[in-house]
Amino acid sequence: MKTHGALYLVATLLLAAPWLLPDYALEVAVQALILALFATAFNLVFAETGLLSFGHAAFFGAGAYASALLMQRASWPYLTTLPAAVLTAGLLALIIGFFSVRTSRIYFTMLTLAFAQLVWAVVHKWYAFTGGDNGITGLHPGALWGDVRALYYLALALFALGFALVRMLHHSPFGYALRAIRDNPARAEAVGLSPFGYLLAAFSFSGALAGAAGFLQVAWQRSAFPDFLYWTKSAEAIIAAILGGAQALFGPALGSLVFVELGAFVQARTEYWPLVLGLVLLALVLFLPRGLAGLGGRRARG
Amino acid sequence: MLAVSGVRKNFYGFTALDGVELHVEPGSFHALVGPNGAGKTTLFNVIVGRYRPDAGEVRLAGKRITGWPTHRVVRSGLGISFQRAQAFLSMSVLDNVTLAVLAQEGLTRNGLRPLANFPEARSKARELLDWVGLEERTHEPAESLPLGDLKRVDIAMALAGMPRLLLLDEPLAGLSRSERREMVRFIEELLRGLGLTLLFTEHDTEAVLRLADRITVLHQGRVLAEGTPDEIKNDARVIEAFLGE
Repeated sequence: MKTHGALYLVATLLLAAPWLLPDYALEVAVQALILALFATAFNLVFAETGLLSFGHAAFFGAGAYASALLMQRASWPYLTTLPAAVLTAGLLALIIGFFSVRTSRIYFTMLTLAFAQLVWAVVHKWYAFTGGDNGITGLHPGALWGDVRALYYLALALFALGFALVRMLHHSPFGYALRAIRDNPARAEAVGLSPFGYLLAAFSFSGALAGAAGFLQVAWQRSAFPDFLYWTKSAEAIIAAILGGAQALFGPALGSLVFVELGAFVQARTEYWPLVLGLVLLALVLFLPRGLAGLGGRRARG
Repeated sequence: MLAVSGVRKNFYGFTALDGVELHVEPGSFHALVGPNGAGKTTLFNVIVGRYRPDAGEVRLAGKRITGWPTHRVVRSGLGISFQRAQAFLSMSVLDNVTLAVLAQEGLTRNGLRPLANFPEARSKARELLDWVGLEERTHEPAESLPLGDLKRVDIAMALAGMPRLLLLDEPLAGLSRSERREMVRFIEELLRGLGLTLLFTEHDTEAVLRLADRITVLHQGRVLAEGTPDEIKNDARVIEAFLGE
């Protein structure tokens, strides 16, 4: 009952936020929701399969560029580019995953990083198609999505949907199979599970969700930039997941909220945000290895 | 039930298995023994599809399974329990076995319904845990179990698909004397009762002589002798090989 009460409170606050917060704070909240969706997608692979992807920016960026290019070149209305963004990101994840999920641990991490940097390099240099390092700017998501409140609700809806899907997978036999493969690949094979297919499916799905986050970023910034695919973007998801607690379903979202809000707060006052972030991460790893969710007790899984 | 013929396996010039023959009769308990390095583990890994043999073939109930990947072999009637008892430590005992049951039924691709809402697999898992005597511990996290109980979880998982043949790799390894006695009794009662065919390796000679109907002795990658426990006990070559070490 206690957890249900807390859940209703959080849901009410999230729904009421546009009426409580000034526009600037709402802009920051949208950014937090986008990162929350991105980090939750990343964590589906990280927490359930134990594989640390350092290349999720590629899927975030693929979603963003698919949406931006369709708006700019084919004049698609913003919202109709969502399926294309998700599909493009999912497909890219399928390709990168095909070569990566067979490898383990550090090799997986390095390979996903290398693939993502490769995609970044292409986007960064291909002026004729992606606009190169100028990006794609001056996009008009339309009157409705230009309004920060509407965009907030769109981001909230997509985050809620993504979270619900990840939660559903977590509790399903598929989620258990992923964790079995993570816990003990040899035993998983010996109960009849073939790891490759499960890992590839999880990775592709995670990539598709990251693409939805990239799609949101386009409306928020009215542009798409190669930065979206740069490795620091991947690092944001990793930091958010670890900050909030990767072993809790809501951990990455919690971490995203703290990361974005704290970042906005500190950056408004000093130029030393990376230093503050470093100290926060250091304190966290030393004193709270399970992240902020670890404060809520040992078995804080939704 | 299981027929291994002419199996040969080389590792970088070292011959681990050199034309091994092994026939396990349906309903029998068959022990595979030999000193360390004799090729027992390699043979196990060839049977379960972890290694592809350089020559020879493996048949399970007449079907050629040589070179099949492990997950496919397992779903064709072979149950595997490892030497180092292995369970999925992040899950409860019941979830471990439920997952094994669902995997056998090909239901682990389902990402929509919670695992707890598969009542048939759930009750099958409870029944398996009942068989191995863990019905009281179903909701405990697997990581909290002592080794002897983990081995039982492992065996329950190996039985999830009602295998024709069960492979046990050193079921007594790491157990105390009293746990060993209990495990031997458990294997006898449960697996005989189920009418299972069993192929196992074990270093504990006493346990081997008590459990096995037939024994195959491996030595330097070859079958040195094969026979009933009495025949093996008195076989001059076996005595020489073991004492001559």
